[in-house]
Amino acid sequence: MTDTTLASGPAGPKPKPAFSRRNIIIYGSLIVICLYYLVPLYVMIVTSLKGMPEIRLGNIFSPPMEITFQPWVKAWAEACTGLNCDGLSRGFWNSVKILVPSVIVSIIIASVNGYALANWRFKGANIFFTILIFGSFIPYQVMLYPIVIILREIGLYGSLTGLVIVHTIFGMPILTLLFRNYFTSVPEELFKAARIDGAGFWGIYFRIMLPMSLPIFVVAMILQVTGIWNDFLFGVVYTKPDTYPMTVQLNNIVNSVQGVKEYNVNMAATIITGLVPLTVYFISGKLFVRGIAAGAVKG
Amino acid sequence: MAESADSGMAIAVPTNGRSGSERLFLTSLFTGMVIWLGLSLGLSGLFSGMGDAGTWTVRLLPWVALAISALALTRVFSEVGGGLKFFGNRFRAHAIGWLIIAAILLFIAIAGQPLQSVFDLLGKSGKIIVRFCGEHGYFWAACAILIALGLLAIGVRDPSVAAPGRMERTFVQKLTAKVAAIPMALVAIGVFTGGTLWTVVFSFTNSKLLPVTKWVGFDQYIRLWGESRWIISIKNLAIYGVCSLVLSLVIGFILAALLDQKIRFENTFRTILLYPFALSFIVTGLVWQWVLNPDFGVQQVVRSLGWSNFVFDPLYDQNIVIFGILIAGLWQGTGFIMCLMLAGLRGIDEDIWKAARVDGIPMWRTYIFVVLPMMRPVLITTLVIIASGIVRLYDLVVAQTSGGPGIASEVPAKYVYDKMFLGQNLAQGFAASTMMLLSVFIILVPWAYLEFGGGKNKND
Repeated sequence: MTDTTLASGPAGPKPKPAFSRRNIIIYGSLIVICLYYLVPLYVMIVTSLKGMPEIRLGNIFSPPMEITFQPWVKAWAEACTGLNCDGLSRGFWNSVKILVPSVIVSIIIASVNGYALANWRFKGANIFFTILIFGSFIPYQVMLYPIVIILREIGLYGSLTGLVIVHTIFGMPILTLLFRNYFTSVPEELFKAARIDGAGFWGIYFRIMLPMSLPIFVVAMILQVTGIWNDFLFGVVYTKPDTYPMTVQLNNIVNSVQGVKEYNVNMAATIITGLVPLTVYFISGKLFVRGIAAGAVKG
Repeated sequence: MAESADSGMAIAVPTNGRSGSERLFLTSLFTGMVIWLGLSLGLSGLFSGMGDAGTWTVRLLPWVALAISALALTRVFSEVGGGLKFFGNRFRAHAIGWLIIAAILLFIAIAGQPLQSVFDLLGKSGKIIVRFCGEHGYFWAACAILIALGLLAIGVRDPSVAAPGRMERTFVQKLTAKVAAIPMALVAIGVFTGGTLWTVVFSFTNSKLLPVTKWVGFDQYIRLWGESRWIISIKNLAIYGVCSLVLSLVIGFILAALLDQKIRFENTFRTILLYPFALSFIVTGLVWQWVLNPDFGVQQVVRSLGWSNFVFDPLYDQNIVIFGILIAGLWQGTGFIMCLMLAGLRGIDEDIWKAARVDGIPMWRTYIFVVLPMMRPVLITTLVIIASGIVRLYDLVVAQTSGGPGIASEVPAKYVYDKMFLGQNLAQGFAASTMMLLSVFIILVPWAYLEFGGGKNKND
């Protein structure tokens, strides 16, 4: 914290001493807490760069004496789950195949829903919306099996398409809420003016709402990308071993009981799985916070 | 008042009691549809206990509802007076649309079976189409025809004299918006309501590998509460829940208060505190499994520093394993709680702080006795979010301990999954998930009452 020692210049109110007791307590505790939060990430990275002999020596906190990328290669291309020994790459591509359509479909449907709810208040719409919001608090376990039946009836059980539908369904409450709240804040005069000019439902949606609400689409995308990538329950219930998403495969690799435990490979695999949401998180920054808070605080 | 935006022709003329029969028409039509949907979701099994006659009665119910609505439609015809006019009818285009839908459905209903091989060429969507053949197709075609006839009946009304009736408001106004909201309606009714009811209902059966309708009353629940694994799950969830609720609120609030001190690098600190929230529970569980590993992790490191008797292996000790999971859970979730709290703190009026300073109240007292009560809405929302997350606790346990050692860290969500998909004991899973639902209701109902019941004090 060397920067705190720099006085902020003559401008502004009375300068406070940089090393007051209060500052030391605040910054000190924050730094200690942050270190605690960072330790697991550090341990993950350090472990994944060590060789197994070095890990057996003991200290998980010590930096690697000899950096090796072998565990990463092995986790990506060779780690075994059951009979398949092609590593996490299979799960990664499955997750991508699930992620892309799920994000697109769920955002399209939810944004249109939110738009219909916010600007075209028709009778009965709020009943559905209330059910949807309440539904988002219902434990998923209650709805797992009925959805299995529905998917089986339409022949999609176990396929990636089925999982896309499931993600669309369970993303709907939060995303609809997000879009509804945003579209409500668009001035109503704009909407009315467009109506008078003869624009219909889709005309207003594509020409006015869509261009005006790009930030909220980005927020929704962040929300969905991290949410769907991190999902485990739906992946394990609605897909088959061949189409398991990455989280499920990771769990199978690390928690498999057979063979010698290769902790470095496990940690490399864990990092690789966490990399996508972490990248999204670090790039998106404030939008991420807005995304998770938007659905939550406004209700 | 929402309608006034788009029905320019609406003139306030009483509808002369017409809407009475229109209402009957619509109510019975929609009732029939909902019953039909419920039956196709598998609720028909509910009545199998009544024998063949009972099953038939139930299957006739939606058709009876349609018949009633058809009767109501004849009354609408007579009330409107103009009769059925196809040409010169205001809603001709709408009626044609519905008739086309009816024709397609009828075609599928009749030709679905013989043309199955053709539809199969369409792949998955072909299969969905074939599902609609037979009775399903006839039913929905009948609905579409009734709607078309209803529109033709009311279309002869002079819009400059009569206010838009119930039917016009339902099937003509804002039609595109309604069509666009169909996915939402289907999910809300079919999955969230229908699915939940289905699970609750089938928890009273004796389903094993497949759902069957052999009713056994509360047997599944009695068995559930007699199983030590379920009891352990509940205990674990209770311990985890209480600790996680209290600790994440306290830690989240303290962190938010620290970040609220107009400090430098606030963004950096927040980024670090929040990043675990971006990680999945699986990743979280696996990392902490490694950090808490007794042979290599914290315990070993402390021992190598000299305290050779140091013991800290929560994941391998039955009595404290749930706290090992709690550590990981808190690491992952407190950043999020902090963000919510921070948003709440930022919403507090700056003048409050000035007033407190003028009165000479120390900062920590202002936080606890002034600011905290003012943050009530945020606190309640946070509480509900944490609580509904706790009930779902599943991935973390699977990744970190797989329920071990033994069954010491089992949780209800895992119990449900294991019974349903591994143990081939569906009804046990249904019963357990119904108990989870019940616990959520206990959290949710008071919240909904506070939020929506006691006056309109929402900040929305």
